[in-house]
Amino acid sequence: MASIASARIKREFREVVTSDELTRCKIKLELLNDNFTELKGEIGGPPDTAYEGGTFQLEIKIPETYPFNPPKVRFLTKIWHPNISSVTGAICLDILKDQWAAAMTLRTVLLSLQALLATPEPDDPQDAVVANQYKSNNKIFLKTARHWTNVYAGSTSAAEPEFDSQVKKLVDMGFDSHKSRVALSSHLWNVEQAIESLYD
Amino acid sequence: MVLTEEDSSKSGKNNENSSDNASSQYECNICLETAKDAVISMCGHLFCWPCLHKWLETKPLNQTCPVCKSAINKDKVIPLYGRNSSNKTDPRDKIPPRPQGQRTEAPRNNFFASGLDGLHVSFGIGAFPFSFFASTFNFTTDNRMPAPPPGSPQYAEEQFLSRIFLIIAIIFIIWILLA
Repeated sequence: MASIASARIKREFREVVTSDELTRCKIKLELLNDNFTELKGEIGGPPDTAYEGGTFQLEIKIPETYPFNPPKVRFLTKIWHPNISSVTGAICLDILKDQWAAAMTLRTVLLSLQALLATPEPDDPQDAVVANQYKSNNKIFLKTARHWTNVYAGSTSAAEPEFDSQVKKLVDMGFDSHKSRVALSSHLWNVEQAIESLYD
Repeated sequence: MVLTEEDSSKSGKNNENSSDNASSQYECNICLETAKDAVISMCGHLFCWPCLHKWLETKPLNQTCPVCKSAINKDKVIPLYGRNSSNKTDPRDKIPPRPQGQRTEAPRNNFFASGLDGLHVSFGIGAFPFSFFASTFNFTTDNRMPAPPPGSPQYAEEQFLSRIFLIIAIIFIIWILLA
């Protein structure tokens, strides 16, 4: 059965790499080994979202039972999104779990992930803190997501300079910059609360 | 790159079967190759039977079409017989899981319907003392697996034994009813 998996990935890889549509959507795919079990995906943040301008790297692992079971996908690039863990990059998306169907391909998975960035599902969260913020304080959520896109996914637009200076404040106190950013993001950029959580 | 080399050699082999563009609409939706032992679902989607069978086995409780997710099951797919493929081999020979699936259902339906055999089996499930009796009986039937031809002394002997067991069983039942 492993032969189905590798034969299919070979085809799907070609399909993604040669597709003009996917290049236009800023979707890329890269092989990491010769037996087609590990790939690296890349999706561009969709326009008119907090992720616009960023490029997000994905780890894709193909199980031996593919395509009867879904590929294992997680974000390598840190991202602030209700359905993606800000810690591990794990993704909560139904088609990567019980709604997977054997006719789906890497192309549809990558497009679905891009769509997930555009339309978060806060009621089916992976990261409870982010989902809560999305629902109760959407303005700050958008700013935070934009800030993370800027810092980790390399976008150049909307840098949120006040967030940078707040992170710098904590870094000057001796905290790790990523940990400081997580603490601030989780506490609506309230410096006192963030410091408190870092000391816990 | 390694990929392109392998691909070109592979497509070279496939050239006699099909040109790429013409065959792409007859690709199996699961393995993405030209469908072998093709079957089509009621919703119109094409698969290799082995591929679809494996998919249905993977999700036994929620059998849906891999393309459109409409309900699907073994009995509602239609095999496709092309002229050339049917000339070479009977597709059903190459699709072992399907006839097997039908065979496994059959014994359940015939469980009580087949005369004497059914009778013996029902003793086996009955009251406790009979289960031992039934198992010894089944042991003897296992032994004669290559069934003796009718008319041979062995056949007569077995018929005789079978009748004795039946009589003993009936006596037991009467005894239980009277006791």
